[in-house]
Amino acid sequence: MGVKGTVLIVDDDRDFSESLAAFLRAHGYRTLQAYDGAEGVKVARLASPDMILMDVIMEERTAGFFAVQQLRQDSQLDGVPIFVISSLYTAVPEFRIEPARGWLSHDAFFPKPVDLDELLAAMEAHLAQASYPALQTGESEP
Amino acid sequence: VTEAPEGRERIVVIDDDYAMRLSCRQILARSGFEVETFEDGTQGLVGVAALKPSLVVVDLKMPGLSGMDVVRRVRDIDPEIVLVVITGYATIGTAVEAMKSGAYDFLPKPFKPEELRLIVARGLERRHLHRKTRQLEVERELMRRRFISFMTHQLKSPLAAIHQYLDVLQRLGDSPDVAGKRAEWLERCLVRTGQLRELIDDWLLLAKSEGSTLVARRERVDLRPVLEGVVASYEGRAGGAGVSVSAELPAAEYPVLADRNCVMVLFDNLITNAIDYNRRGGQVRVSARAEPGEVVVEVADTGPGIPAEAVELLFEEFFRVPPAATPGDGVDGGNAGVGGNGGRRWRGTGLGLPICKRIVAELGGGIEVESEVGSGSTFRVHLPAYREESGSREEAETSWA
Repeated sequence: MGVKGTVLIVDDDRDFSESLAAFLRAHGYRTLQAYDGAEGVKVARLASPDMILMDVIMEERTAGFFAVQQLRQDSQLDGVPIFVISSLYTAVPEFRIEPARGWLSHDAFFPKPVDLDELLAAMEAHLAQASYPALQTGESEP
Repeated sequence: VTEAPEGRERIVVIDDDYAMRLSCRQILARSGFEVETFEDGTQGLVGVAALKPSLVVVDLKMPGLSGMDVVRRVRDIDPEIVLVVITGYATIGTAVEAMKSGAYDFLPKPFKPEELRLIVARGLERRHLHRKTRQLEVERELMRRRFISFMTHQLKSPLAAIHQYLDVLQRLGDSPDVAGKRAEWLERCLVRTGQLRELIDDWLLLAKSEGSTLVARRERVDLRPVLEGVVASYEGRAGGAGVSVSAELPAAEYPVLADRNCVMVLFDNLITNAIDYNRRGGQVRVSARAEPGEVVVEVADTGPGIPAEAVELLFEEFFRVPPAATPGDGVDGGNAGVGGNGGRRWRGTGLGLPICKRIVAELGGGIEVESEVGSGSTFRVHLPAYREESGSREEAETSWA
């Protein structure tokens, strides 16, 4: 199986990150792991992954939120899909992700534990979408 | 809605009698209130809805919309508005009825200026008390909700990690990417399950003590065997972490007036913390000394220390000292073997020290921390000494359970 793309996993739960990375590797992805928001931003800038999976509530509380904001402001990472993963979604009324408002702009949301089939399907769909316009611009250039 | 200027409280007076409106306005304005008057119920209600006054004075007997109707509708607009009804002697019965409908008090005509001022002042005071109480309740509710959301996260995170290990093992157990990790992953599942159980136990312990007590009895407890026992039971854990644990208890048995179980939980927490928040090759020293009326126990570690700003939060529920960044610990993704995950790691349930604080407080003792970043922390516990002459009497007299 050829490499489908490089995925950066940002999660401070090393156990969760470990099994997710192994799962994605087995499905043909290259994986990078970072264990807090700041590290995640640093690695994203260095390695330019094709996709980022980000836990937004880590031990440093909302570190992931700020990391997502920073990543979105980085022109180098334009168009890189960000999936937000969290164990705190349905349970807490004040924690609602509203992509329309733009403060936590993400491409997909997955509650923990992640449905791995759904995750794989969404990743493939987004990667196909992300690479299509790039190909087009390449072809239309004189 | 416009606020009354300079935080002055706004009062609305509704009365069809011009002289009454005028005198109420004068009396209340002189007391520093912002006063608006209306000559009938319909206009008065529009005014109340727009001005949101703190208090409304309303005449019960008016042509058109009656004072009773005004009382009911003001309650609908804002139940926190204090209502004072003015009534003639002939309508005392109606006044009582108005109070049943939510009016605060009534003022029979004719009344003296002081009577109006007094009733208004009392009504407003009650309003403030009521509002303050409600504010406290709201704050308590917010705290409770935040606690629940945080607790949910603390419970769901390990569950998600365990679930996903098992999910991936079930799906890909035979694939080369995963097969070699099976034993390690299962071990991690056990570790995380154990931590989850600890968290639930700690939480239950704290929840149980809410509104009641952790301390069930007061008896003579000799600290020497307790401390030596706890130290001995953690020698293995300490050895695994490369930490040496020693108890320095030179003088006596150190009898204190306490609850044996609570004292064991207390020192269990302090000593495991000292082992976990330590460095390889570090030490944990447990020492005790008798002071007038009390026994002082110190648990000292050679760990990273606690920054001054964190010391204040140390005994808060779920607060944990952030693990210090160690040089070279970066994005390696490597697991440093089974049990330890390499690199930075948060430990404990975040409830251990709150439990310690609760126990010590209930025993009438104290707990404090001295810490220096880079060299270690010392937790000092003060417990009331057990005294022979008073001990038996106290034990007999009190039933603490």
